[in-house]
Amino acid sequence: MKRGALLAALALVSLSGLVAQEISTFTAYVDSDICARLLLGPITSDRAQCSKSTYNDGSSAVLVRLRNNMVLSVNKEKMISPFVGQLAEVSGKVKVNNENVKLESIKPISADSVPPGDPSRRMLDLQTYPREKNAQLHEKIRHELAMMPYISVFDFISFTQSGSEVILTGWTVRAMNRDEAGNVVRDIKGVETVINNIEILPLGSFDMQIRAAARVALQRHLSRYFWGSGSDIKIVVKNGKIILLGTVTTKSDSDIASIQCNGVPGAFKVFNLLRVQKSGKGT
Amino acid sequence: MLKKTNRTGLGTCALWCASVVLLVSSCSPSASRVTVKRISAGQEFSGLLSSYTNLKPNPNFANTKSYVSLDPAKNIHRYLAVIIDRPVVYISSDADKRAFSDRGVAALTEYFQDAITDAVSDAFPVVQSSGPLVLRLRSAIVGVDVGPETQGDPKDSNRLEHALNIEKVGVEMEVVDSETGEQIAAAVDRQNLGEGAMIGSVIFSREEKFRAATRAFDGWAARLRQFLDSAHELSKEDIEHVEATNFPYDSADVPNK
Repeated sequence: MKRGALLAALALVSLSGLVAQEISTFTAYVDSDICARLLLGPITSDRAQCSKSTYNDGSSAVLVRLRNNMVLSVNKEKMISPFVGQLAEVSGKVKVNNENVKLESIKPISADSVPPGDPSRRMLDLQTYPREKNAQLHEKIRHELAMMPYISVFDFISFTQSGSEVILTGWTVRAMNRDEAGNVVRDIKGVETVINNIEILPLGSFDMQIRAAARVALQRHLSRYFWGSGSDIKIVVKNGKIILLGTVTTKSDSDIASIQCNGVPGAFKVFNLLRVQKSGKGT
Repeated sequence: MLKKTNRTGLGTCALWCASVVLLVSSCSPSASRVTVKRISAGQEFSGLLSSYTNLKPNPNFANTKSYVSLDPAKNIHRYLAVIIDRPVVYISSDADKRAFSDRGVAALTEYFQDAITDAVSDAFPVVQSSGPLVLRLRSAIVGVDVGPETQGDPKDSNRLEHALNIEKVGVEMEVVDSETGEQIAAAVDRQNLGEGAMIGSVIFSREEKFRAATRAFDGWAARLRQFLDSAHELSKEDIEHVEATNFPYDSADVPNK
């Protein structure tokens, strides 16, 4: 009897494995990794420009599943790279936990081919894209994310809130930050759906050398942005590429950050996305 | 010529096999990696930690002395990953060293190392090589004694002849910069979690006393994690700073040209 139950359980486990491996077809926007993780609003011409320019600068190509705004990496980037900045119908085995698609096929489509009423449609229409911002809820989410103790200079976590849906974005070197961000936001009253697009960065020794050297260089030349255990400048390092995020007070500080990071041994490319503080803006 | 080539090929193959065997044997956990030291009579600390001078009683952890570097250039916030060294066992000053079996000590240290790894790895991912932003966690299990002769099937290869008594054990740990060896945080935890705990088999948790041992080591590992969390807590000023500066990006912040 016990053996039978065990066999049945095993069969169920293997069946669920097969189900997880099912090929699915979905509508996606082919984006650059940087724009996909920083801009999660509707697909506009500005967004397409961002995708193309950052892709051309070396950011990798990824898919954004329009139905739920989930960012998915692919096993064959070459298959999707010709379509960066475009919509596409994608078929493949989606591994939701790994945020990865094993691609079978991809073909470009026009926005008109997405029928009205399709959940993917809302991302394509500025008029229908939900933009209900609840200032109190937004502030609560921002506060909870700021309280996370293991966010370092090398992590960047941001979010978009629309009604009761929150999309978490960014990069982190600690898997626990991704999970914790998802959990703390999910627990906030008024939040119903959380899409977690925070990517966990590899901790290879090569990237670690770059992280350490970039921090030393920036701290030496822009020490006023470093305080206590953190910094206003975030240094995201992924496969030899440095992405600078955060806020500085002047354009020249932003330029200094670029110059310093470009001098870091082993860094292939620096994406300077530092914001320059505007008078009167909260940042 | 062909024969020679073949022989060279066979020789190379044999050499490769030997290298693989050597590599595998050097990587696998074995009794040869076990370190047992004796704590001298009357000595308060084992001597494993690089420094004990900064330790102070920690009000948040009973029976614990600790130290956390607050140096802005060298503090725990500046590290991302950790190497976890195999714990070192210090036996009681009057214990008979010959009664300790390497297998038992290996099982003990392996269990504790795994417990530490489980407890800390989500906050500090575990890596294998030293480098920038990497800590090294060193630990000692101090005060292990020889227990009674174990009962049970003498043919049981997992059984130890003498149990390891961990009733009066304490734990010492430190995290150091993996490149410079500089101490970043340290704790000496004398909280008695091992009451009634014995290890009589290389497979823990066979009997109640052995389960008590696993609970004790899991408990020390959990306290270690709590200690690291407390050392990693953001100050009030840090939270205020993050709140004042950490605003999400929007489309205006990203280049489109």
